Amino acid sequence: MDNNALFAIAAGIAVLTGFGAGIGIGNATGRATEAVARQPEADGKITKTLLLGMALSEATAIYGLAVSLIILFLKMH
Amino acid sequence: MIGNASVEAAGHGGSLGENLTHHIQVFEWFKHFGGISESIVMTWFIMAVLIIASYIFTRKLETFPGKVQNFVEAIVGGINSLAKSVLGHHWRPFAPYFGSILLFLAIANTIAMFNMTLIFRPPTKDVSVTAAMAIMSIILVIGSQLYYKGIGGTFKSLFEPMWIIFPFKILDYFTRPLSLCLRLFGNVFGAFVMMELIILASHNFALPPIFSLYFDIFDGLLQAFIFVFLSMLYIGEAIE
Repeated sequence: MDNNALFAIAAGIAVLTGFGAGIGIGNATGRATEAVARQPEADGKITKTLLLGMALSEATAIYGLAVSLIILFLKMH
Repeated sequence: MIGNASVEAAGHGGSLGENLTHHIQVFEWFKHFGGISESIVMTWFIMAVLIIASYIFTRKLETFPGKVQNFVEAIVGGINSLAKSVLGHHWRPFAPYFGSILLFLAIANTIAMFNMTLIFRPPTKDVSVTAAMAIMSIILVIGSQLYYKGIGGTFKSLFEPMWIIFPFKILDYFTRPLSLCLRLFGNVFGAFVMMELIILASHNFALPPIFSLYFDIFDGLLQAFIFVFLSMLYIGEAIE
């Protein structure tokens, strides 16, 4: 196997962090739906907290993307 | 410059991946400015739009507002109420800064929706731009903490619940701007690559406007809001 293929595989593996972010965001959204169903009047606060939690758990996927980009840029130089 | 760029690139031949990398590269037109990067030129453009718009909209303010003034007042009121809800009673000095950051990011992230006809690329897909904005945020956090708590109070708050928390509080000053920067950059860059891929793969037929609704408009506005909201949370935590 040549070097380029190894770099591509490494970048692909780095993006697998998306699994965790998907599970986390799904969990958060499900709980938020339950919370709104139970207390519709707390809608605004729940939305804000949900957005914050989504941003924090999404960060893991973004780190994976950043790492894979770094790997790909290493390949170019 | 103006014209359908993806059709021209598809004429070069080569695989889809080669065409995509050719597209994502910095646009060649900007190289004639002598080393000034594409994101700086786009930032200038957005700044010009914002400055001209703020001049036009605030030129003739009236006590009984018309349609346009009502709209602008609704935007400013929304920003103020967001700052009030997060920052408490210290909201006043922070609202104008966060308002301008929010407007800039909202335009910068969604400007890629004109990418098919005019070459407008989001400046926030450059990691240097988002790093600058994250560093501005963390400097504001530290500065406001020093201003409202004083040096002694700031030093004491590093050991606040227990002394063992100290290294993590120091680490926070580095991980927070890093995560702010990478979150914005990764989202915008990922959405940009996805849109380029969709434009190339669908040969400009029907699909790009539909996906642009999600990748450019929804995701861009959401990330602009999240950046401002998280910065506000950090400041609210620092000065409480």
